[in-house]
Amino acid sequence: MRRSARLPGMWLVAMTCAATAQGASWKEPELPAWGEGERQTFEESGWVAGALLLTDETIPDERGEEQAVASDAALDIAEPTADEIAETEDPNGEIPESFWPAYFEKRPDTFLVDPQDLLSPVDYRDRLAFLDYHASDSSIDLFVYLIKGGQEFPGEVREEELVERCFSSGRPAAVVFYFLGAPQRSTIALSPSLTDAVSSVEQRRALDSSVMQALEKTDPVDQFEAFLVQMSIRIYWMERMIGTERADSANELSPVVAKQASESEPSLAAKLEPYLHAVRPHLPMVFVMFSALITGCAANFVFRRKLRYRFPDFDVEPRLGGAHAAGIGAVISFASASLPPASQRDQVPDYLRRM
Amino acid sequence: MARIGRRFPQVFVAIYTGSLGEISNLRQFGFWLLNRSAFEDLPPDKPNEAGVLLSIDPDSKAAGMVFGYLLDPFLDESDTFDCLSRAHAYWLEGRYADGIVRALAHLEGVLARRSRHARRDPEHFQRKVLPPAMMGDLVRRIRDGHRAAEALPDGEEVTP
Repeated sequence: MRRSARLPGMWLVAMTCAATAQGASWKEPELPAWGEGERQTFEESGWVAGALLLTDETIPDERGEEQAVASDAALDIAEPTADEIAETEDPNGEIPESFWPAYFEKRPDTFLVDPQDLLSPVDYRDRLAFLDYHASDSSIDLFVYLIKGGQEFPGEVREEELVERCFSSGRPAAVVFYFLGAPQRSTIALSPSLTDAVSSVEQRRALDSSVMQALEKTDPVDQFEAFLVQMSIRIYWMERMIGTERADSANELSPVVAKQASESEPSLAAKLEPYLHAVRPHLPMVFVMFSALITGCAANFVFRRKLRYRFPDFDVEPRLGGAHAAGIGAVISFASASLPPASQRDQVPDYLRRM
Repeated sequence: MARIGRRFPQVFVAIYTGSLGEISNLRQFGFWLLNRSAFEDLPPDKPNEAGVLLSIDPDSKAAGMVFGYLLDPFLDESDTFDCLSRAHAYWLEGRYADGIVRALAHLEGVLARRSRHARRDPEHFQRKVLPPAMMGDLVRRIRDGHRAAEALPDGEEVTP
């Protein structure tokens, strides 16, 4: 039993020793070599198969290092200027100065500020449409400044100062500085009319909630969309909270609330603007017609005032011995308010009626 | 009053205000006054037939309106009653002038309408003042026609 177990091991050792002896005696086959005049014949025919590889000479690119340097020197390319170097985008630097006016100069005209074109036109249009819808449905506007994920605010600009300067007047607004691809860096600020009504804790909570929603997505654009949706919802809750506080403290918050209510509804001029725009081309004609109408009415009034009425003179038989009148006429009593004229209508004696 | 005189050159309006005393019937008083009085401030071409007399008795708190024969075809008792009714509310409060203005304004409108109507259709008003004799002639002619039909010999039929 023990002898049979040793047998495979002995075979294995023997085979290993044989292989080692054979390896020591193995010799690498020699490369094929050109016969006499063989290469020249191929070269004359125009093409030598494997000539580039099967050679002891160096590869042309490797060999031509010096030639490449010489050719680079031959290219005449202007060196970048100092301004170009200064304006070179640094993805992790400050927002380039060329975009400062678009970002920080005044209150933005649209709810989505993206002067760096970080979003594609389609995405920009969709997000802006959402923000417009939010503005039409809410008394608090949502302004979003879109910034690259790695960019920093310029040292000269403070977010609080920007919000206070641009959003002190007009509709109440929530201003979000969103870093595309890095939603966790986003910040929020409310316009001065809202800062008293909405605590900073509530603002932080709304921002955190929106960031959480954004981080569930991987694509930066999807993150941005999720962020906006959640932020819009949180702003709705802010509105509700303001409304509740207003109800609790009856008159205290009324200026803010009244301002929001009045500004949330479009003004009368804004409502009438489309109609005025349609009517404006016809105004001269309307004015002429109206003037003609007024003139006609005035002429009619003057004509009627100057109009003289005449009665045909009929021969009337004298009655009751009256030479000039026959006593036909009514009598009314105004002794008491309880005796109205309606109750006195039928009062003429028969003998005074005309025959 | 002046306006009525201007717009209706044939017509004038006179107003009497005062207590009637023992005269209890305001209508009779108006009838008597318009027939007997002479209005000094009227031009001679305006006879009393063209007058409209408004009498107001503040003591008995009654008012009446009568008119002359010129307006006989164009006005009737209900027209004058409507004029007085317009002034009733004012006179209840003692505002006689306001009531008079209101009554005359209504009278002006009525006269203007009747004048226009008379210009379009004078026969309509002329029929209202036909003398009784002419009315009798008309009745007599109708009756004569019926008698002629009855006098027809027997056997003859009258076609309707």
